[in-house]
Amino acid sequence: MAIKRKPMKMVTLLLAMIMTLSAAGCSSGGNNGSNNGGNAEGSKSTNAPVQTEAATETKLSEDEPGWKADTSPITFDWYLNFSWFPNKWGVDATSKYITKKTGVDINFIVPAGNENEKLNTLVASGKLPDFITIDFANDNVKKMIEGELVLPLNKLAEEYDPYFFKASDPAKLNWYTQEDGNVYGYPNASSSPADYEKYGDTYVANQVFVVRKDMYEAIGKPDMSTPEGFLKALQLAKEKYPQVNGQPLIPLGLHEFGDTGNYSLEAYLQNFLAIPREKDGKLYNRETDPEYVTWLKTLRQANQDGLLAKDIFIDKRVQMEEKIAQGRYFAMLYQRTDFANQEGTLYQKNPEQIYIAIDGPANSKHDAPTLDGPGISGWTITLISKNVKDKARAIRFLSYLNSEEGNKDLFLGEKGVSYDTIDGKDQFKPEVLELLNKDRSSFDKQYGSSFTFWMLMNTNITQQWTNPTVEPFKQLEDWTRGKTKSASAFEGIDPTGNSPEGIIGSKIKSLRAKTLPKLLMAPSDAEFDKIWNDYLEKQQKEGLEKFQAYQQKKYEENKQKLSQ
Amino acid sequence: MENKRSAEPAGGMTPLIPANHKTGTGTGNRPSLWRRMTAQKHLQTMALLGVIWMIIFNYIPMYGIIIAFKDYNIVKSIAEAPWVGLTHFREFMEDENLVNVIKNTLGISLFKLVIGFPLPIIFALFLNEIRSVRFKKSIQTISYLPHFLSWVVLGGILATWLSDVGIINNILLALGLIDQPISYLAEPNYFRGIVITSDIWKELGWSAIIYLAAISGVSPEMYEAATIDGAGRFQKMWYVTLPAIKATISILFILAVSGVLNSNFDQILVLRNALNDSASNVIDYYVYYTGILSGRFSYSTAVGLLKSVIALILLLIANSVSKKINDTSLF
Repeated sequence: MAIKRKPMKMVTLLLAMIMTLSAAGCSSGGNNGSNNGGNAEGSKSTNAPVQTEAATETKLSEDEPGWKADTSPITFDWYLNFSWFPNKWGVDATSKYITKKTGVDINFIVPAGNENEKLNTLVASGKLPDFITIDFANDNVKKMIEGELVLPLNKLAEEYDPYFFKASDPAKLNWYTQEDGNVYGYPNASSSPADYEKYGDTYVANQVFVVRKDMYEAIGKPDMSTPEGFLKALQLAKEKYPQVNGQPLIPLGLHEFGDTGNYSLEAYLQNFLAIPREKDGKLYNRETDPEYVTWLKTLRQANQDGLLAKDIFIDKRVQMEEKIAQGRYFAMLYQRTDFANQEGTLYQKNPEQIYIAIDGPANSKHDAPTLDGPGISGWTITLISKNVKDKARAIRFLSYLNSEEGNKDLFLGEKGVSYDTIDGKDQFKPEVLELLNKDRSSFDKQYGSSFTFWMLMNTNITQQWTNPTVEPFKQLEDWTRGKTKSASAFEGIDPTGNSPEGIIGSKIKSLRAKTLPKLLMAPSDAEFDKIWNDYLEKQQKEGLEKFQAYQQKKYEENKQKLSQ
Repeated sequence: MENKRSAEPAGGMTPLIPANHKTGTGTGNRPSLWRRMTAQKHLQTMALLGVIWMIIFNYIPMYGIIIAFKDYNIVKSIAEAPWVGLTHFREFMEDENLVNVIKNTLGISLFKLVIGFPLPIIFALFLNEIRSVRFKKSIQTISYLPHFLSWVVLGGILATWLSDVGIINNILLALGLIDQPISYLAEPNYFRGIVITSDIWKELGWSAIIYLAAISGVSPEMYEAATIDGAGRFQKMWYVTLPAIKATISILFILAVSGVLNSNFDQILVLRNALNDSASNVIDYYVYYTGILSGRFSYSTAVGLLKSVIALILLLIANSVSKKINDTSLF
C-alpha cells in the first residue's frame, strides 16, 4: 500500500506545481501584453541579430527585388478577417510554387465565427499575427495604427527593401498616408484616378440585380425597374413557381441582415436608384432621398403581399449560398462574384436555370444606375504586425506580392502547370480554364491561380492575361459595363473607433440595422411612415449632425488627396 | 419537528451547505487551525488547487472591472486609461435600448424561474416513485442526455425544426392545427416560448439529478413510519419527501433568483436574428454586441457590472427572506 501510495502523492504534488506554474506563466504573459513598451523592446532584441545580418547581405536597391536576397524557409502567420475564406496555403500548385520560389510559407488564420470578435481578441492581446488583411473601412484598422500594433510600411521599405516603392503605386501609398506621414497598409483591388484613365472603360461593377432566367422568361420578361412592375413580377413568379424542388420559392434575395444593417438595402439600392452622393460639394444624406423611401415602401408592400420570405431576414451567407445553388431565389440584389461558384454549378446543371442580370430598381426618371466601380481604397488592406517574425522578409514578401511579378504568379500560377504561352500570349491552359469556369472550388485546390489568394491582387496589372469571361458570368459582367462610377472620394469617410463621432456612427448603424427589418415588416404605409420618422428623429438625437460634419471634413480631405 | 426532519438530509448534502462548515470552525475547544490543516494535508492540497484556480480565474480578472469607470483603449494598458467616473453608467441609463433589453431579460428569466424551477423537482419526485430500477435509470439517462449537446449544435437543429419547411410546421399542418406554415424564429412573439421550452427540455433531467440525490438521502424509516400512519403515495411525497428536501430547494432557489438577470447567452446567440431582435436583445447579448463586436469595452463592462450588482442585491434579498421563512440560507 505504502509503495502504491507514494507515486500518487508525487502526482498530486506535481499536478499542483504544474497548475501554479502554468498559472504564473499566464499572468506574466498578460502583464507583458499590457506593457507595450517592454514587449516591443523584447521582440526587438530577439529580432535584431537576424535583421542586421540580412541587411548587410542585401544590396539595397530600388531595382532589385529584395526577396531574392534570402529565400530560406520561413513561415508567416497571416490573419484574414474573413470567416468565409476556405483555402489553405500549400495545397494547390500556385502556392507551392511561390513557397519554392521565395521560401515563404503561409499559415492562414481565419476566424471561425464572428470576425470582429476574433480580431478584437487579437488586438486586446497586443500580439497580432505577422500579416493582417482586413476590410479597409474596418474600425480596427485605425485602432491598430493608433495603438502602434502595426509597422509603417514606408519605414520598413526604406530600411529593408527600397524595391517596395517601385512595386507599389505612389498614388495608393499617398492615399493611405496617415497624419503622421506613414503608410501602414497596402490595398488590393484598388484603382487610382490614373488607373481610371487607363483602364476605365474596361471596369465592371460587382453590384447586379439578377433573376432566374427560365422563370423570368416564363412570366414574359416583365419590366422590373418600376415599383409596380417589380411587385407584379415577383407576384407572377410566385404564382407560377410556388415551389422549387419541393421547397417554397424565395421571390427576392438580399445580402444578410447583420448588426450594422443590410448592404443590399443601403448603398447598393441607392446606387441602383442613382441617388447622388453629394450635391454642390456637400455630402448628401442618401437615405433621406424620396426615391429611396419609395423603394423601401415598395419592398414593404412586397412583404405585405407575401413576396418577402422570412428566410432573407434570418439566413447568413452560408445558407444563402446553399439556396442559390438550389435556385430557390427568383430575383436577387446580390453581388455577382459572391455567388459565382453557385452560378457555375447551376450552369453545369442546366444553362436555362441560371441567374441573369436585368435592369433592376430605378428611379422615377429611369436614370442609369451609378454602381461602385473599383475605388482607390480597394477592398482590403494588408498590414504588417509589430510582432512580425522577420521584418525584412515580411516587407520583401509584401513587395513581391505587390509587384507585377507577384501578381502574375498569383494570377497565372506556374508556367507549364497552370498557364503557358499560347498564340504568343501568356494565358491559362485550356483544361485549367475549363475547370476554372466549371468548378471554382476544385480549381482553387488544384491550381490555386486566378487570385485564389487575393490579398494583394492588382487586377489592373493582370488585365493583359485575362481570358475573356465566358457565360454564364459574361452576361452578368457585361450588364454592369458603363454603369460604374468611381466613389473613391467617398471612401473611408465614416468615423471609426471610440472617438465621439465613432460612437455616434456605431449607434446610428445599429439603429439602422434594427429599423430596416421593422420598416419592411410594417403592416401599412402609415405604420412605415411612423417608424421612418421615428428613425430620423432618433438619428438626430444620437448626433447625426456631428457625424455628418465629420464625414464632410473627411470627404474634403479625400478630394484634396485625389487631386494631387 | 419539521425543522429537525429537514436538517437531517441537509446534513447529508454537505457540499451545498457551507454554513455547516462555518459553525465547525467557530467552536473553541478544537486543536489549532494549523494542526488541523496539517492533519488533513492531502485533502487540503486538493482544496487548495480549487482555491488557487478561483483566485486566478475569478478574483484576479476582477481587476478589469475598473475599466467600467475609465475610458479604456484596447491597445493601451488599463492603468493608462483616464478615469471618467459614472459616465458609462449614465449613458446606459439614457440608452434607448435600455427598456427593451431589461424587459426581454426579465421576461425570459422570470418565466424560466416560474416554470423551469419547479419542473425538475416534480420530475425528480415522480422518478423517485418508479419501482423498476432499470426503467428509472434509463429514463434518467435519457432525460439528461440533451444537457450534453452544445447550444451551437442544438441551435442548428432547432432552426431547422422551426423553419417554415421544418418538422414542427409539417406536423402542425398535417394535424390541421395551422393552415399556413409559420417561420417561428422570425416572429418575436414566439421567441420567449421557444427559448424557455428548449431550455427546460435541455436541462430538465440534469437539474433533477441534484434533487434525486437529496431524495436518496431521506431516511427510509420516515417512509416506513408514514406507511404505518396510513399515508398513501402522494401523501408520502407531500409530507415526507418534499419537506425532507426543502433545504436543497431553498438553496437552489436563492441561486436561481440571483441568476434572474442572466439569460443563457449561448442559447440567445444561436437563436436570435434580425427579425426577432425586439424580443431577443437581452442584457448579455447587448454587452456582447457593444463590447466584443463594437469594441466599446468600458461601456459594456459598465453594463455588465451593473447587472452583477443587481444580481448580488437580489441574491442577498432572497437569502435573507429564505433565512426568515424557513431557516435555510447560503450564509
